[in-house]
Amino acid sequence: MSKPLVIWLVIVVVGILNYAARLSFIAFFARREMPPLLAHALRHVPAAMLTAIVVPAIVLAGPGTLALDTGNHKLLAALVAGVIAWRWRSPVLTIVVGMSVLWLADYLLA
Amino acid sequence: MQTKGSLSRRALFFMPMRAHFSRTAFADGAREMVPATIGIVPFGIVCGVAAIAAGASPVAAVGMSMIIFSGAAQIIACQLLAADAPLAVIVLSCFVIGLRFLMYSAALAPHLRSLDPRWRNLIAFLLTDQAFASTIQRFRESDDLAGNASYFVGGGALLWLAWQVATVVGILIGAIIPAAWQLEFVVPLCFLGLLAPLLRDRSTLVVFATSAIAAVAFDAMPMRLSLICAGLLGIAAGVLADRVPPKRTRVR
Repeated sequence: MSKPLVIWLVIVVVGILNYAARLSFIAFFARREMPPLLAHALRHVPAAMLTAIVVPAIVLAGPGTLALDTGNHKLLAALVAGVIAWRWRSPVLTIVVGMSVLWLADYLLA
Repeated sequence: MQTKGSLSRRALFFMPMRAHFSRTAFADGAREMVPATIGIVPFGIVCGVAAIAAGASPVAAVGMSMIIFSGAAQIIACQLLAADAPLAVIVLSCFVIGLRFLMYSAALAPHLRSLDPRWRNLIAFLLTDQAFASTIQRFRESDDLAGNASYFVGGGALLWLAWQVATVVGILIGAIIPAAWQLEFVVPLCFLGLLAPLLRDRSTLVVFATSAIAAVAFDAMPMRLSLICAGLLGIAAGVLADRVPPKRTRVR
């Protein structure tokens, strides 16, 4: 399969799946009651998935290489930005602070 | 008084939707979404850059942002496309990343029951992390369905538009951005911005710790299976943590 074809297939299939997930409960399960266990489980999905996305990107310098020291500037930036996000919930502030700490660390500590 | 017979077909088509539309709420939604919108612009730029780097044409890159409209899925897809991963792997990974939309959908569904299906379809299309986080409290606290739905669509539409513009910017200037800037770090920062505010109760902290350790431990798994494993373990840990009764609150 040619690359452009694969790319368009990805766009269409992933697009449909994403939309189906977003529409799922809103359109199809609006009338039914949800089992409590499912409701409990679903409540934790965002935290679980966001963590699984965020943490490896920050603490792993390469495949299988844990970098928890001060040499890991992304970790420093993420810790500071994380506190900012926790306290002020501002997306702009989080990104500005995070990138600033990263650049400062690269400049001062490299 | 106008009878139904004298209304144009166009008016008849939109009448049920208009019952649940409030122009002021729509404008409020858009205006209050501006900070979050600014936050996702760098993310959108990175997605545009990543799409081109993965070999997509500019049209396909814009198509990704218009049709998929999910930064996490787009980034993962682009990384896997650049690595020539099989189509099935790409689709599975994107599906796993998108599982949290099920939760957003479930959380919103009870509030949207009396909405016209077309409104529901539109809201579903615009359902992103930011849109959900910004509006779920409103839905829970107020019964004003027209206001809440319009507020959501206002914010969601602004996010969608900004996402497209950011993607185009990324497509155009991607080649000029120096690698030393590490602009791709805005992606974890965006998600961190969504995650950190959630870490306020014990169960969520348990979910975080479990998922974090699992995600790192299983990182070597193929096909990004680490995501689904870490996610499932985190969810299970959360459900278990919910069952442990809370400590008695201290009497002040």
